[in-house]
Amino acid sequence: MDNTVSQEKQAFYQKLGEIAGTSNVLTGEKATACYTVDGITPQAIVHPASTEQVANIVRAANESRITLVPWGSGSKQQIGPCLEAADTMLCLGNMNQIVELDASNFSVQVQAGIVNGELQKQLAEKNLFFPLDPLYMETSTIGGEIATNSSGPRQFMYSTVRDLVLGVTVVSPTGDIIHTGGKTMKNVAGIDLCRMYIGSWGTLGVITEAVLRLFPLPEASAGLYITFNDAEDAFRMVGQLLNSPLTPSAIEFLDSVAGHSVAETLGSGLNDGDALLIVNAEGTRGDVARHCQDVSALAKTNKAKTIMALEDEKAFPAWMAYRGVQGAMLGANHSIVQGKAAVPISKLGDMVQQVKKISASHSVKIGLTAHCGNGILYTYLAEEHEALLRITDELKRAAASLNGFFLIELAPLSVRKEIDILPPRNDYPLMRRLKAEFDPNNILNRGRLVGGLG
Amino acid sequence: MIAPSIIKDLARIVGKENILADLKDLLAYSYDATMRQEMPDVIVFPRNTEHVSAIMKLAHREKIAVVPRGAGTNLSGGTIPVKGGIVLEISRMNRILEINTADRRAVVEPGVINLDLQNALAPLGYFYPPDPASQKTSTMGGNIGENAGGPLCLRYGVTSKYVFGMEVVLADGEVINIGDYVEDFPGYDLRGLFIGSEGMLGIATKLILHIIPKPEASRTMLAIFDRLEDCSQAVSDIIGAGIVPGAIELLDQKMCQVIEQSVKAGYPTDAAGILLIEVAGLANALEKQVQEISQFCQKNNARELRIAQTNAERDAIWAGRRGAFGSVARICPPYIVCDGTVPRDKLPAALHKVGEIAEKYKVLIVNVAHAGDGNLHPLILFDVNKPEEHETAKKAGDDILDACIAMGGTISGEHGIGLEKMNAMRHMFDPSDMAAMRRVKHVFDPDDIFNPGKMFPPEAEAVLPKEKGAAR
Ligand SMILES: Cc1cc2nc3c(=O)[nH]c(=O)nc-3n(C[C@H](O)[C@H](O)[C@H](O)COP(=O)(O)OP(=O)(O)OC[C@H]3O[C@@H](n4cnc5c(N)ncnc54)[C@H](O)[C@@H]3O)c2cc1C
Repeated sequence: MDNTVSQEKQAFYQKLGEIAGTSNVLTGEKATACYTVDGITPQAIVHPASTEQVANIVRAANESRITLVPWGSGSKQQIGPCLEAADTMLCLGNMNQIVELDASNFSVQVQAGIVNGELQKQLAEKNLFFPLDPLYMETSTIGGEIATNSSGPRQFMYSTVRDLVLGVTVVSPTGDIIHTGGKTMKNVAGIDLCRMYIGSWGTLGVITEAVLRLFPLPEASAGLYITFNDAEDAFRMVGQLLNSPLTPSAIEFLDSVAGHSVAETLGSGLNDGDALLIVNAEGTRGDVARHCQDVSALAKTNKAKTIMALEDEKAFPAWMAYRGVQGAMLGANHSIVQGKAAVPISKLGDMVQQVKKISASHSVKIGLTAHCGNGILYTYLAEEHEALLRITDELKRAAASLNGFFLIELAPLSVRKEIDILPPRNDYPLMRRLKAEFDPNNILNRGRLVGGLG
Repeated sequence: MIAPSIIKDLARIVGKENILADLKDLLAYSYDATMRQEMPDVIVFPRNTEHVSAIMKLAHREKIAVVPRGAGTNLSGGTIPVKGGIVLEISRMNRILEINTADRRAVVEPGVINLDLQNALAPLGYFYPPDPASQKTSTMGGNIGENAGGPLCLRYGVTSKYVFGMEVVLADGEVINIGDYVEDFPGYDLRGLFIGSEGMLGIATKLILHIIPKPEASRTMLAIFDRLEDCSQAVSDIIGAGIVPGAIELLDQKMCQVIEQSVKAGYPTDAAGILLIEVAGLANALEKQVQEISQFCQKNNARELRIAQTNAERDAIWAGRRGAFGSVARICPPYIVCDGTVPRDKLPAALHKVGEIAEKYKVLIVNVAHAGDGNLHPLILFDVNKPEEHETAKKAGDDILDACIAMGGTISGEHGIGLEKMNAMRHMFDPSDMAAMRRVKHVFDPDDIFNPGKMFPPEAEAVLPKEKGAAR
């Protein structure tokens, strides 16, 4: 292997040791194999300790045309358009500290490698939390969540990463350190670069630090677990709930395929075709009590089969079961395809109907979960290659007919290589120009995101 | 000066009735709510996206500067045509195209006035949260250009949180769609880059907005204090306790006096400062918030706490606040509006500093603030006929911004940089930060056609991005 590596690359790997310390650089197939992404095994893994080190590494890489992949916890490395090159993984796991917790301003500055779940523990000691709750938050890093614009059920109340991150420090592909945003709740000084980096999938820069917006832990919370014989009833109820002054923190839908493990935790079951709705409320005791009352009443008028209102910690086991659904659906089965549809909020029920039809016509089981307040639907299915291509095609057309889109998140490499992962848009050329302007040598995450822009 | 033939070409695109080129008209468009003046060559009023695209193709071919303009109420000099050229006014593109409460979306043309949208939504039980005090006149396009805020943004967040998608005309006339009607669109957040870009990246010709149901109930309070320190400390305490009211606005004594001269809001004129506080939410949960807030006010020696009992009382309380800038303009037209913003808990310290600066320069400063967000608006008054007073006022303004930066804050919370705060950019950003912003500008508008001469201080303009990328 080593003799195929050019001298320039060798010199770069040497330099990595000088910058980050040799103990923080791993080379050799054995050490790097577990970092293989999309069939590409990197030559080196480096664990820098500071923004300056990252800047030095990236600058050196740019000069030597070494391709880099920023790496948080690796939880999202298999998502989206395929990587095309990865000489070195730039791991931010050692940059995992809180830089400054400013409780009275409700903000915290963290290094990008801090794990979300770990951060939450430290914040909870001060009666605070950061309302970003993507499914893998126990292992995913804040930097990775920002880079991939990940959010979870709570986005309905607190919005997404884009509104929860006040600023990021970034190392540009040419090795410059760029500060964006700040500590204030409002900030319109100059072009809002912070937003450009959020969701840029590590293709425009390496996020090394972030300032996050915090909230006080709510006084009370509750989860309502409601089952229906028919998804249509569930979505009618969602429509009414959304058109009310109630402010639930999450409205989650599961079909019987995806929902059975949650139902089991609740001590009940779901028949084929049943639907499970979870409505979470949080805030003052008064707010929560009112939600329990009104949501239950709404459920009843919409022919709910069972209604269970679980207060505070009592909702915890069922909620953890829900959070585990994606993991359970994917399981050990590497051939599972996870897709995501985004449709207008009022069309989510229609999309579910369409998926059911597609599922029936292909006699394939499709598991569904949805963030109802945001019009986001996740689909899980396993099929052999050819059928899979046909089914995804139909799902794309279904979403498009409802004025939305469908895209593949996780899929076997062979599938991801063959299909257009991202939906067609007319702003991709501008995005590509942005990438070329910021990363002229295309060293950061080559192929990722923009690589797939039609 | 642009050639007369170009004006003819423009007239061919939009029609004679949608173009102005007389001296008196050019004069009228040579300034905005700021104190500078520069002459444009022509003003055009496109009626639709095709017009805008055709105008841009022409401007692009001829390399003529284009300044997008809404109502011209921005307070940073954003619509002053410093390099002449075309002022492109979007006020005649003012149709509300769609309101879909079930999807929580409204689709509008950018010339729609903020309040007109609110009035269309209100009967449906919905609203669009960003509510700049200028909402009676400012356009949605201008709100996006500056990423406008308003009193309600404390609870609900600013413009950037409520614009989901846009149709945008680029410098060469190409029409693209950024963001989406649905959530979680793939790719870079061009929408996020565009919001607050002050007309320098393109022209928005259609906006997809997020609307939400009105809260079930709200209560508006007026808390009156004899010491400004107590007033700002009460804000800090309320926010620090984790209470998030709909809005907390602070006005000092001089502001109240000025407002009472033109708007009868019923503010006391003998108190050091007042807070306008609105709480909103579910009816049964409101009382608790009102009580907690009252307690924090009392703890900080509030002299009196009034709670609006009727809609008329509520409206009066807000009318005063919305009329704040206008009232000042009536007694003293020239003034500098600072827009410095500090971390929330630094509000008392920042207001104290503003007082010291007023003292130091012997200038008259009146204060109004979106207090809950730490967004100050000290207005520095001066006599327009005394250039040295203007200079002193400018210096005081610069000092205030520097003080905000020193406290971990920013030079602009909602009004933007434009011409006014251009030089302060250097105090906020490193050359590498500014170079990155210029790269974005370069990608969107390589020929610097849109609103040239704004935002980036002259030196930064000279510092071109180090390594040229592959812009087209
Ligand atoms: C009395 C008063 C009170 C105010 N109160 C507030 C307040 O509470 N909060 C607040 O945030 N601001 C406030 N402002 C400032 C101002 O009203 C806002 O900045 C407003 O958003 C500007 O809207 P406009 O239509 O006047 O835009 P303009 O002033 O015409 O333009 C503003 C900027 O946006 C650009 N622009 C305009 N239209 C478009 C478009 N279609 N596409 C791309 N760019 C465009 C322009 O080039 C310019 O850079 C106040 C101003 C006044 C005079």
